[in-house]
Amino acid sequence: MLPLARLIDRALGPVNGPLETGRSPPFWLIFLGVVAVLVIAPSFLSRYELLNFSNFLTNIFLALGLCLIWGYAGILSLGQSAFLGLGGYAYGVVGINLIEAHGNTWLALLAGLGFPVLVAALLGWIMFYARLKGVYVAILMLVVTLLIETFLNQTAGQGWSIGLAHLGGNNGLGRFSGVIREPPSLTLGFSADAMMIFGGKTRAFYYLIVGLGVVSYLGLRALVNSRLGHVLVAIREDPDRTETLGYDVRRLQLGVFCLSALLASLSGILYVSWGNFITPNVFGVYYNILPVIWVAVAGRKSLTATVLGAVFLVWLSQKLAIQGDIAFVVLGFILLGGMMLLPEGVITGIGERIGRLFDRLGIGAATRGGRHGG
Amino acid sequence: MDTLTFIVSLLYQYADTLALLLLAAIGLIVIFGMMGVINMANGEMMMIGAYITSFSYYAGIPTPLAVIFGGLGAGLVGIVIELLIIRRFYGQLLASLVATWGLSLIMSQGAYLLLGPLIKSVPTPFGSFGVGDLSFSYYRIFIFAMGLALVAAVWALFAFSRFGLHARATMEDPSMARALGVDVKRIYSLTFGLGTGLAGVAGGLLALTSTIGPFYGQTYTPQAFITVVVGGGAEIVSGLLASALSLGLVKTVVMNQVNILLGHVAMLVFALVVIRMMPSGISDWVERRRSQGRRA
Repeated sequence: MLPLARLIDRALGPVNGPLETGRSPPFWLIFLGVVAVLVIAPSFLSRYELLNFSNFLTNIFLALGLCLIWGYAGILSLGQSAFLGLGGYAYGVVGINLIEAHGNTWLALLAGLGFPVLVAALLGWIMFYARLKGVYVAILMLVVTLLIETFLNQTAGQGWSIGLAHLGGNNGLGRFSGVIREPPSLTLGFSADAMMIFGGKTRAFYYLIVGLGVVSYLGLRALVNSRLGHVLVAIREDPDRTETLGYDVRRLQLGVFCLSALLASLSGILYVSWGNFITPNVFGVYYNILPVIWVAVAGRKSLTATVLGAVFLVWLSQKLAIQGDIAFVVLGFILLGGMMLLPEGVITGIGERIGRLFDRLGIGAATRGGRHGG
Repeated sequence: MDTLTFIVSLLYQYADTLALLLLAAIGLIVIFGMMGVINMANGEMMMIGAYITSFSYYAGIPTPLAVIFGGLGAGLVGIVIELLIIRRFYGQLLASLVATWGLSLIMSQGAYLLLGPLIKSVPTPFGSFGVGDLSFSYYRIFIFAMGLALVAAVWALFAFSRFGLHARATMEDPSMARALGVDVKRIYSLTFGLGTGLAGVAGGLLALTSTIGPFYGQTYTPQAFITVVVGGGAEIVSGLLASALSLGLVKTVVMNQVNILLGHVAMLVFALVVIRMMPSGISDWVERRRSQGRRA
């Protein structure tokens, strides 16, 4: 084997493994290319395109979290956007209250990440420690999110305020409530005079999302290919047998569920930071079915497919939304068609075909050979 | 308000809540109990039932027949869905869940595109009666009776008919049932059709009390799911009844004292407490107790 290939192989060790598609050198070359394009994108995209693209990218964390629990650990949640919403609301409420006094949003960020994880821990403790059936977990999460939506929709009255933040009923938090205070963009002070404001229109925000996206993607790849990731897959395949091998299935399910809530809440915080508003719609049926569509159609057992699928389908939804109400019917057909024709996912299917082509051409053999040879 | 009025109104609310829970969940729990499949399009089946009821009513068909048409229509749609879609996902419960969710999206949004945000609602029959200074609708009482009647009918169907015998055998052990000559696939199609048909009848009955639109059925979704989760799938009829009776009580009391939203929240909290102790629902818990008793 070429020494260079071996070096690359070793460097990619932690993120490469049998539990993720795309591990050949050509894949990583393409990956580097994509990252490079993302880095230089602000120089050739218009201001509006960049703003729009940033918005697409905020969804990646939500999608990755669902992919992790559903595709790898076998836990389907139909209410995953609840954590996005709780994160966004918690961040917004704390941000509105503290932005003037503190000048930054560190505490709001902490609240936005912490609150959904606490809720996930409580719900997860009840559901996983009761060893609840998978379908029950799925529909209970939907019930939870729909009730939160109903609750928030009736908070239009003046009594529904938390400090300076008015919950605003179905107008949500933001300038639409007729209230001057809107949730602030992420404002992070790194030292006395180095303050960064990550507003939706800024390049800083775009680079923050790209950075967080790449880190999350690589981090999750390392996670699923670690020993823990293999145990998660074992739980997906057969929880009882995994338990017999000495693993505490309930604790691991709870842990991975909380991690997915953390990722979803990151999407929520970024969403609020991007547009300075959030409405109870994010708890509704449509916001919750969207991540399920992305992950199911793209390929739930692959983080790579999920990221690509989420970005493509969000883009497609936006194009369709311009055509009027037809968007959700089309997305429904995409979901149903995808589930029936390519149950493992469209992008995963294409990826495997490309992989087989590489194998036949002998390109991917280096990595795989290295792996087996030790 | 005097004591009598208060008691009557509380009982009336309880009956009304029970009717809602029974009707919203019956189709769902029949399919779940028999096939393990959660039909995410249950609300849309109620919507179809309601739409057919409304169209039939305005075509001059008598109301009771219109509701029956609603049930038959939804039942037929269910059988077609089973043949085309559900069949491909036998043994993959989460996949069937997601597929029926896609279907629900297509049907509700499709109805919205084709027929608009509202259709003509059907007038509530029977009038009302007064106790103290409050007035109550006879039709609500009738719906409650119909909810119980449907549960009884489902029980009788499974207990006494040939289909019921085959269905119970399939539920117990599909491969053994198949070996004994039961056409398991046909049983599954018919069961799915039965479940969606029941949802259709429920949708038709409830349509007479509210406005009807494409998302009409979805408003019942949270309550229907909670009822199924608490009831479990081990015993369809007893599970549904036990679940509706207990949840209905919780909701009625909280609704009466505070408001309807907290009534729903209280149901969810109650459900979470129940599943913490009986993860597979009340019916499974009772079933297990009973079989332990038999062994001892």
